[in-house]
Amino acid sequence: MSAALRSERAGRLRTAMQGAGLDLLVVTGNAWRSDYLRFALDITPMEGQVIALIPREGPARLIVEGPTEAARMVREQPDLQVSWSTTPLADAEALIAKAGHLRGGMAPIQAVPLRLARGPLGASMAATTRMLDALMVRKSATEADAVARATAIADAGYAVFKEAARVGRAEYELVADTEAWLRSQGCPENFMIMGSGGQEVRSMHPPGERRLQAGDLVTTELTPCVDGYYAQICRTLVVGPPSEVQLRAYAVYVEALETGIAAVRPGATHGDVARAQNDVFRRHGLGDYVTSAYTRVRGHGMGLFVDGPHVLEDVDLVLEPDMTLIVHPNTYNPEAGYIVLGDTVRVTATGCDVLTRTSRSLISVPAGA
Amino acid sequence: MRRGLISWSQEEMPAAVLDARVARLQAAMREQQLGAMREQQLGAVLAYTSFAQPAAVHWLTNFTPYWSEALLVVLPEGKPLLLAALTQRVHPWIREVSHLGDVLTAPRLGHDVVKLLSERLAPDTAIGVIGLDTLPWPVASPLIDSARGTHLTDVSDLFRSIRQPADAAEITLAEHASRIALAALRSIPASPRNASEITAAVESSARLAGAEEVLQRIAPDLHQDTALCRMDGDCPLGTRYAVEVSVAYKGVWVRAATTLSSDSTSKTWHDAQRWFESAAPALAAAKLGKSLADAPGKVSRWSVEASLLTEPLSIAAANGATAAAALPAGCPAVVSVHLALADGPWMASAPCIVGRPTSLYPWTAA
Repeated sequence: MSAALRSERAGRLRTAMQGAGLDLLVVTGNAWRSDYLRFALDITPMEGQVIALIPREGPARLIVEGPTEAARMVREQPDLQVSWSTTPLADAEALIAKAGHLRGGMAPIQAVPLRLARGPLGASMAATTRMLDALMVRKSATEADAVARATAIADAGYAVFKEAARVGRAEYELVADTEAWLRSQGCPENFMIMGSGGQEVRSMHPPGERRLQAGDLVTTELTPCVDGYYAQICRTLVVGPPSEVQLRAYAVYVEALETGIAAVRPGATHGDVARAQNDVFRRHGLGDYVTSAYTRVRGHGMGLFVDGPHVLEDVDLVLEPDMTLIVHPNTYNPEAGYIVLGDTVRVTATGCDVLTRTSRSLISVPAGA
Repeated sequence: MRRGLISWSQEEMPAAVLDARVARLQAAMREQQLGAMREQQLGAVLAYTSFAQPAAVHWLTNFTPYWSEALLVVLPEGKPLLLAALTQRVHPWIREVSHLGDVLTAPRLGHDVVKLLSERLAPDTAIGVIGLDTLPWPVASPLIDSARGTHLTDVSDLFRSIRQPADAAEITLAEHASRIALAALRSIPASPRNASEITAAVESSARLAGAEEVLQRIAPDLHQDTALCRMDGDCPLGTRYAVEVSVAYKGVWVRAATTLSSDSTSKTWHDAQRWFESAAPALAAAKLGKSLADAPGKVSRWSVEASLLTEPLSIAAANGATAAAALPAGCPAVVSVHLALADGPWMASAPCIVGRPTSLYPWTAA
């Protein structure tokens, strides 16, 4: 990540801490929930628990679980005071107690381990998490630019996935080709699930050993991380020429995506964007398939993670310029199977920029091996 | 996030092996006496899982969440139940890749487990949690707020007591994972200029061989720094660099690392590698004194890691660690050593089985 972006985020964090009257911020995380640590300190845990103690002024203190992670974080952030321990929670507890004279807050509530949550900062978790969420969902232009760079990698990565999708190849081999290409581009991380088959396929999942067959719909949600920011592309391809049923089914998703994107503008809510997409399915008599019985999430924020609440009809998050999200009317179609289609967009002053460049047409790849 | 091959091969991991592991835990639960008068037995053991803390649940059920969270409930009898925050539409996939009793939708894990326990167990029943201290607050909070709060107990020691040594199935998977890691390191091109050439080759080799996950760290220029870095972006390689690859295969993790050079390998490296291959099994078995004393350079860092609780690999012993756990014979472990040689730093990691005379990572023999 650029020093400018790191500095910009640190400045916003300090201002927010000051506004909340916090002298000390404790942020916990691990490889599953690394986004808050990335926002606060630009560190991404690979293994083990990480606890950061961030004073409003002065260097932050970091406790990790192993010597390799400790050495890595010192190298990445020379200003941090990093130590490692086989008992990181006990160590953090002692440091928090020592800082008892400071007004502290701890976050994110969804990842704070019980031992720390039971301590003196436990009561602060909800408010501190809200403070950080607000900072992470509302992006600066520099952050939105990073999402745009990740989207370009997602587009190019999907082209690799498409090339890899051939009859006889196993699902995990498609992912292997894509991941290897992403590493060749310096992209350290990607979230990716997929599906393959016909009308019987009702979801995506991690890749299995199933081998592609002619006529399969092959779905994927590809989510590379660039400079700490994720962008996503969702696409469906057909192995061989598409059938009439597949084309007819797919057209509804194109209409829903276009309608959903048209609803993205400052002042609109996540609920508005979800409703616009779902109304298309309802008009086509497919309303059952946008309920919780199938798939009801019509997108989500993109950034340091899946930022903020999902795009659902009952979510009232108001969109603002430079927020970034994916709009994806992904769900099951009773005739064709599971279909996905989604673009990453950036909210502008008057609407949104569609960052994804890959064609929205139903892609066909050769059925020959 | 996990995005490699996740599957359940009953040839590699027979259901009977998973049943036997659960039975080991259930037997230990029955033996555990709690309370001031040691009058209480455990009515259930809970194990939390996310892809950062997947090890305990995977060992018991073969299930690893690629995303989201889940909570395993092991009762004294019967198959374990899984409460999954993942959407119901992926339940068929969960069933396909794991060996479980019921799989229940639980978008609010903590609240849903309280409800389940209320339905299944008497109110004053003791509940054990593997890694209670590390349980995320939204999962722990409803348990604590409920009447169960006073009956929650940490059973990490109980789990550690039954987790190792490994059974034959786990050792076979560890051997396979080690072969994947070795092949991945051997796939590194002869004279790479940039780190990305290494990460791309390693990733391709390991994932095409069926790795569930691949973590890579590189020390791109050992003359500058010995820290193994996550490659976010790219960088040129120095004449000497080190590559560490951690591989999960069917939920079993190993780690291997080697030091490489774009010029001819020096004699000191050859001596270091030969020493390491003979010393690693002894280090895994906690025979530290002679092994470290015989090193052909100053030992700047060493560690032994194993699957002990909920994380894939945890430090069992290391220089600078406050506590060391001696691993039992038959426990898969990873030994890592950093040496300061006369002509510069050198490092290696190798998977071992404690008690075996050779490592699973025969770098010089391959």
